[in-house]
Amino acid sequence: MALISLQTVFIAFFGIAAIGFGIWVFRTSSMMRSALALLFSQTALGAMFLAMQAEFLGVLQIMMMATEMSIMAIFMVMFMMDPGGLGAMEMSHQKRLSILAGVAGALATAGIALFTQWGVVVTSAPAAAEQTRALGTELLGRSMLIFETAGVTILTAMIAATAVALPTLQRKRNA
Amino acid sequence: MSPDLLLALFTGAALFGVGIYGALSQTNLVMIMMGVELILAGALVNLVAFWRFLHPHSYAGQMFVLIVMTVMALEMAVGFGVAIARFRARGSVEMEEATELQG
Repeated sequence: MALISLQTVFIAFFGIAAIGFGIWVFRTSSMMRSALALLFSQTALGAMFLAMQAEFLGVLQIMMMATEMSIMAIFMVMFMMDPGGLGAMEMSHQKRLSILAGVAGALATAGIALFTQWGVVVTSAPAAAEQTRALGTELLGRSMLIFETAGVTILTAMIAATAVALPTLQRKRNA
Repeated sequence: MSPDLLLALFTGAALFGVGIYGALSQTNLVMIMMGVELILAGALVNLVAFWRFLHPHSYAGQMFVLIVMTVMALEMAVGFGVAIARFRARGSVEMEEATELQG
């Protein structure tokens, strides 16, 4: 019982941290700080996964997002008008409509979460080693085709992103 | 209902709302992508919570999480590709200046 309550405390703490940093992403007027806030938000989510005993997914989330947000921060500095990316900038429009849409979306999903009968809640989860072994079996067994599809999609996106980012022949001629 | 499941779902709902606000209110392409990342993060929390508290012995749920994480990475890759192309062409990634994209 004590373990469950401790789990609840950690889930709540990391959940609030993830939301707080998520809000901070759009509260700060520096893109560099926004990237760092998003990094903290995603890391808090990874910690929340760990608190929910999804060890592999938690570590994966923290590692993936740390890399992804570092790359994002580099691009932020590249695209900023001021070098270093710490200058204050106004980067928003239609604020009232956006707040309305955000609050409505959050309330609708929270309402669904609250009023749906989710069925029996399982209190215990498999051990971390057992989870990783079972996920590996799932990936190379029943879900192999889906997993392979994800691989092909990544390859397609890599080619598409490179093709889009390359300067066109016409632009090269003009230069 | 389990308070843990409810907490996780509320966190997902809040991240979803913050993400919608960000995607709609920001004028910079990279900031819009950050909003989309938060929306997907909300979906991730829900999926992990469903796996953990409803079906911890069915690993299709964890598999689904991996797919959403892949989608997050792809969104970033393609988004930055578009941002680089836009920056080369116009010298800015401000979407308010992209009036030629209007229908």
